[in-house]
Amino acid sequence: MMRMVTGNYAVAYGALLSRVDLIAAYPITPQTFIVEHASEFVNDGLLDAEFMRVESEHSAMSACVAASATGVRAFTATASQGLALMHEVLFIAGAGHLPIVMPVVNRTVASPIGIWAEHNDTMPQRDTGWMQVYCEDNQEVLDMVIQAYKIAENKKVLLPIMVNLDAFILSHTVEPVNFPEQSKVDKFLPRYKPEHVHLSPDDPMTVGSFAPPEYIQEVRYQTEESMLNAKKVIQEVNDEFAKMFGRNYHGMVEEYRTEGADAILVTIGTVTSTAREVIDEYRAKGKKVGLVKLRFFRPFPIEQFIDIAKRTKAIGVYDRSISFGSGGPSFIEVKSAIYGHTSIPMINFLAGLGGRDVMSDDIELMLDKTLEAAKTGKVEKDVVWIGTRGVTP
Amino acid sequence: MYEVRFHGRGGQGAVMAAQSLADAAFIEGNYAVAFPYFGAERRGAPVLAFARVDANKIYRKTQIYKPDYVIVLDDKLIDLINVAEGLSKDGMAILNSTKKPEEIQLENEVRTATVDATTIALDVLGVPITNSVMLGAFAKATGLVKIESIEKGIMDIFGARIGERIAKKNAKAARTAYERTAIGTCKGGRIFKKEKKWLPTYKELPLGLATRAMKTDAGLVGPGSFVENKTGSWRTFKPIIDKEKCIECLFCWFYCPEGCISRTSNGLKIDYDYCKGCGICANECPANAIEMVR
Repeated sequence: MMRMVTGNYAVAYGALLSRVDLIAAYPITPQTFIVEHASEFVNDGLLDAEFMRVESEHSAMSACVAASATGVRAFTATASQGLALMHEVLFIAGAGHLPIVMPVVNRTVASPIGIWAEHNDTMPQRDTGWMQVYCEDNQEVLDMVIQAYKIAENKKVLLPIMVNLDAFILSHTVEPVNFPEQSKVDKFLPRYKPEHVHLSPDDPMTVGSFAPPEYIQEVRYQTEESMLNAKKVIQEVNDEFAKMFGRNYHGMVEEYRTEGADAILVTIGTVTSTAREVIDEYRAKGKKVGLVKLRFFRPFPIEQFIDIAKRTKAIGVYDRSISFGSGGPSFIEVKSAIYGHTSIPMINFLAGLGGRDVMSDDIELMLDKTLEAAKTGKVEKDVVWIGTRGVTP
Repeated sequence: MYEVRFHGRGGQGAVMAAQSLADAAFIEGNYAVAFPYFGAERRGAPVLAFARVDANKIYRKTQIYKPDYVIVLDDKLIDLINVAEGLSKDGMAILNSTKKPEEIQLENEVRTATVDATTIALDVLGVPITNSVMLGAFAKATGLVKIESIEKGIMDIFGARIGERIAKKNAKAARTAYERTAIGTCKGGRIFKKEKKWLPTYKELPLGLATRAMKTDAGLVGPGSFVENKTGSWRTFKPIIDKEKCIECLFCWFYCPEGCISRTSNGLKIDYDYCKGCGICANECPANAIEMVR
């Protein structure tokens, strides 16, 4: 059934279809509607879940950790400062192998205070042991909440995951979304039956204990192995979903018109959609450009980028956040991934920070600069700030 | 460079002893470092502290596995763990003991110094904290630092932490030990059972360390495993309840940090398997019904 819904509604409906058992709710713009919709679902008897109103995001994540440790499916949503407040508890979910799913409406982190799209809330959480996927439209948002539980709860993975959607550009935008049938989702995503951790008086376990250095390095390796296992599981879940529901997101990355491309632009989040149009225009003019949509940031698609880099002459990477003093996170990661496999030039483009609109002109500039690098084999500037007053791009 | 390993229990001040020794060596113009290694069990748990002294800047950041000297603050540890493990053949063990060096048996025959540190600490300080005492013994036994420097080091480190008055008492305790330390050679050939440790591979380790009750070669792991870890052996003083005086106000039951006091139909009962002898119950008892007995 097709319905006109916001990204926030798509998220909440994804949680409903996933039959979550625990919703820990704390409001923050632009996420608030997610937990409001969820509260309505519970109130109206559409969703049989414990709806827990907590006093902060720190408590929301703590509640999810505790709930997940009892073996139920836990859900919360947040944004910006709310995610920052959760930071320390995120590590507990990650190393504890608790498959919590948390949509994050990507919003700029103060200061200055803003409510619009920037990825500087989720990027700093990349080392917490959470998987991260970035969405492009509301359909993908709904589908990824369902897929997220299936990936997270896979016995080879058992890690929490953030499903990221850009503030307002998705969260508050209505567009047509296909709502899958509950019976089909139930078939795709069966009940969660954990063996590794489910607190119960009948089966006592020590969870979240103290550990001296003799054990912690092995615990770290467990998280790393799960992250690496997730790469295959993400693809398997993607393919199974595509077969069952007819929508294919291609796994960790999606390539768009990359065949024979001299210059490839890598995008993350909603900018991908606008970039598809510009790529089409350039291709129509005979310019050999292609697009790679970076979907999963954790685990990072290292193998995919090695392969992509071997097939092109220059790569431009767009970031909606910056690691000050180094560059955009996606740029840093792509560069690191392809090191030693190719020596093609790479450029980083920063635009849309604080939620500033990223326009077709901006993407054209990115493509032109990447094409130029492909032609000359050289890069003038590693990190290019686009549309920043007083800064020459 | 010489390296010193301190063995003590949480609360005996091994860390401050290592710091004071390093400070004393620094006062004499050396470069010196001191650092601790301990778990989260707090008071009473076996603790390690380390000190390194050299004429030049010290770069090594590892723990000390082949010490030149070991200093043992707790007299019971000598029988529980191989305190001389890795000790250099030319090195020396400096022990808190009522025995003469010749009466002590360690893994190897090494030069040994002994001093009845607990008695000195109780006489001079009024508490069984032996750290400053053992530094006096170290100065006497090794001659590596002057007792005057040790006294200064104690004034620096203890003075900053617990005030000048108590620091002075500690300096006096060190001086007393300096005068009473016996030097000789211990017997060797003592065999210590190597402590078994549970060291699973990452695959054997329960995922995320969510652990069910398990039996391992090194003992129990997971919920309930503390039945094997009787912390009562850490105790120097034992609380004894005088039932005649006890008014059953439950202050001791409430304040005991280990949860070792339980209410029974026959009055209050102390679980000596786990009581570390901290004395909080005796301190809190409004009826003075609890006596701490050595």
